[in-house]
Amino acid sequence: MTGEKRYYLDTFSVSEDDLRRLIAEAVRSGGDYADLFFENTSYGNLVLRDGEVTSGGAHVDYGCGIRVLKGEKTGYAYSESTSMAELLGAAKAAGAIASAPGCAGPVNIQTATKSYPGSPNPAADRYPSVEDWRRVSPAELVPFLNRLQKEISSRDSRIVKIMAMLSWQVTDVMMFNSASELKYDTRPMGTVSASVIFRQGDKIENKAVSRSWRKGPSMLSGDLVREMADDVVKGIDERFEARRPKGGRMPVVMGAGASGILLHEAMGHAFEADFNRKGQSVFSGRMGQRICPEGIYIIDDATIPGCRGSLNFDDEGVPGQKTYMVEDGILTSYLHDRISARYFGVSPTGNGRRESFRYHPIPRMRATYMESGSVTPEDIISSVREGIYVDEFSNGQVKIGEGDFTFYVKSGRLIENGRLTMPVKDINIIGNGPEALGDIRLVGNDLIVDDSAWTCGKEQNVPVSCGIPTVLIGGLTVGGE
Amino acid sequence: MTMARTITEGEYRLAHEALSMAIQAGAAKARVTLTKNVTDLVGTRDGAIDKVTHSLDRSLSLALFVDGRFGTFSTNRLESVALQEFVASAIAMTRTLVPDSARDLPSPERTARGACDYGLYDPAVENLTEDERIRIALGAVLKREGLEAKVVSEEAEYSDSTTETLTIDSQGLDCREKETSFEMGCEITVEDEGGNKFSAYWWDASPRLDRLDSTTCASKAYQRAVDQIGPRPMASVKTNLVVDSECASKLLTPILTALSGYSLQQHNSFLLDSLGKKVFGDNVTLLDRPHEFGRSGSRMCDSEGVRTEDADIIRDGVISRYFINTYISRKTGLSPTIEDASRPVLVPTGGCKTLSDLLSLTGEGILVTGFNGGNSNSSTGDFSYGVDGFLFRDGRIVHPVREVLITGNFLTLWNNLAATADDARPCMSKVIPSLAFRDVDFSA
Repeated sequence: MTGEKRYYLDTFSVSEDDLRRLIAEAVRSGGDYADLFFENTSYGNLVLRDGEVTSGGAHVDYGCGIRVLKGEKTGYAYSESTSMAELLGAAKAAGAIASAPGCAGPVNIQTATKSYPGSPNPAADRYPSVEDWRRVSPAELVPFLNRLQKEISSRDSRIVKIMAMLSWQVTDVMMFNSASELKYDTRPMGTVSASVIFRQGDKIENKAVSRSWRKGPSMLSGDLVREMADDVVKGIDERFEARRPKGGRMPVVMGAGASGILLHEAMGHAFEADFNRKGQSVFSGRMGQRICPEGIYIIDDATIPGCRGSLNFDDEGVPGQKTYMVEDGILTSYLHDRISARYFGVSPTGNGRRESFRYHPIPRMRATYMESGSVTPEDIISSVREGIYVDEFSNGQVKIGEGDFTFYVKSGRLIENGRLTMPVKDINIIGNGPEALGDIRLVGNDLIVDDSAWTCGKEQNVPVSCGIPTVLIGGLTVGGE
Repeated sequence: MTMARTITEGEYRLAHEALSMAIQAGAAKARVTLTKNVTDLVGTRDGAIDKVTHSLDRSLSLALFVDGRFGTFSTNRLESVALQEFVASAIAMTRTLVPDSARDLPSPERTARGACDYGLYDPAVENLTEDERIRIALGAVLKREGLEAKVVSEEAEYSDSTTETLTIDSQGLDCREKETSFEMGCEITVEDEGGNKFSAYWWDASPRLDRLDSTTCASKAYQRAVDQIGPRPMASVKTNLVVDSECASKLLTPILTALSGYSLQQHNSFLLDSLGKKVFGDNVTLLDRPHEFGRSGSRMCDSEGVRTEDADIIRDGVISRYFINTYISRKTGLSPTIEDASRPVLVPTGGCKTLSDLLSLTGEGILVTGFNGGNSNSSTGDFSYGVDGFLFRDGRIVHPVREVLITGNFLTLWNNLAATADDARPCMSKVIPSLAFRDVDFSA
């Protein structure tokens, strides 16, 4: 039934005539453009703690957000009920932006009416799901967490606590706008995480792993159990031995996969077009300029099947796509929602995303990664006389205007005379985006898009992915003693 | 359609109906929490209206105790039929879980009763019109005449919200709290002569509209941005750290997390087995003061309905309190308390009133005015953060610094607390003044 227009109209108890009436109300005060975003999210989770799955829950979030644009200005309101009376009230509230003081007069708007083949629902299915999480009894899911717990506990005698969580989410969305585009989609998400405490003598260490995909319950395989168990104990000996390095500026080798956080923080945010439209980004005005060495290609991609960052449509109804931000070292595209695309006179790139119907969309990343180069990871490490290798991270941040970014390293090793030596942990690394991109010395041939449960928190939380091949950066500042 | 900003009689009855539904459907015990929030926001960009939003949220949460099992559920679909179906499926899901004898409601003697007025609700919100909100937002715009630096971007938001929470349970708990919040925030980006950008943010918030300082946010944000112009590199060094009260709570929050029952029960705390022990210096005293009239963070009860009370968290360096909810208490045998701190207050030490006094007392070091990323290890207390700030000597700021990190361990850091000012910001629920620490590692 999902995938059919009737299903979505019935889910939200509206007709196509209702949608048109709401848009008419929204622009009645003079708005240039309006759109509706209906959402029905079912979320569930099971938690294993102290050896048993003793808690869990389910949550429902349902409503509709109505946005009205007047030039670049936004009016927004939402309703948790889809009764026409309440939706019309929200449409009127959102439409009030058009009469707010200081609003410019009508502008010649090119609404994003780029024609996509197969309209209205043409995008390839990037998250085919034969089983719907909503149709599966939690009782069928409990054994997976038990197997995961058993597998992890068998791997290391120093384990004193395991906490594991399985969460799932299915979101029906339906979007309609004043260009009469109607789009609908059902988005699954499954996430497994495990947090483990190890004790060795009087020392305690923790380690956490997660996997997250836009997939159904079939993702819960024996292979996943073994892979997560492998990962959570990997490197724990080194974690107990690890020390703080001597801090300062040094070459940094970013291991393949999760090091994609570098791209997310150092450049991805600065390429989001809202920051550039407002002149806030350190990359404002640099379109068409060289920002990296030749041979580097950086992509933001919504098309990887099953990927946490993938989307059939963004939250403005624009089909998800693969966007080259940097081609052969040249900045070639920002990441656009409809507002910024209109401002820059380009087609939207499918990056208009929102946390839920409670938020209006803004440009956001999806899966951000760098294409592979030609050097082996071993050759990259051996090229460094004195530096640091990092491969596990927890979080990052960037200052858009200055371009200063940071990311927190959970584990890595020193590099001495081209060899990996002393383990390090719990250090922050700081650098400047434009400087770091220009200082990429070598790019490995081993791109990995990381499948961990990355969430980006720019004003609103949205699921993303990141990836990178092994990369050498000439100099970043490393925290230490 | 206009809806009431606070919980109506009908919504109150609905919460009780949900509780009855849960018991009738098979729950031995249950707790229902109904939260209602109305928020209006006006955003400006470069002096003109940019964004106007209006939102109303209602969420009903259920904590169910069924056949010795426990589950938590929430929905915003509050129509009677939808709610009935939701409760029935919640009971069914709870029955799929493994029994846990430690799960229970708090004993009725510990829960809040009646109503308390902590001065957190300002009826002025009820009469605010959209025009008045726009007037407040436009009145906070930066005055550009005579500014020394080029302003690239100015974004500001004014918002007001009303939140009411009703917590009831099957043992007779009936706790209802409502509060308003009026907030103003402004981010300014300036550019130096070389085209380098510098951004800064300033904000204010208050439960009462007449105490909101909306008009100085833009000028303070502008000044903080301008102050960063001309950063110079510095060498890695071990020196004094002063953190201003705007961001000082960043260094206290991990301690509160380490004192939480969940962290302790999972052995994921660097303050494991520390209750009653002297862990910090004599000058570290942290109190919980949840009943201060008109102050953010004051509250009658926690999310379980357990009534709040004045308490020592740390007294003269000795850990006085773990935060143990009903579940963790029954799991560990520790006495139950409130589940988390309401309004932690760090008692000033060292005799300084202002940040300026604190810089003079400290002499030289790095003044941190903002954090850029970083994290800590909850098991060991090791931390590493990116920081923004200024080199100071002889108690005076010399120049801004950039690309700087601080790295250390929270136990060591707080044992090196030298002094504090007495300048905690009243808009924050964590009442933490500017702090000065000795011997901190800076990497640059």
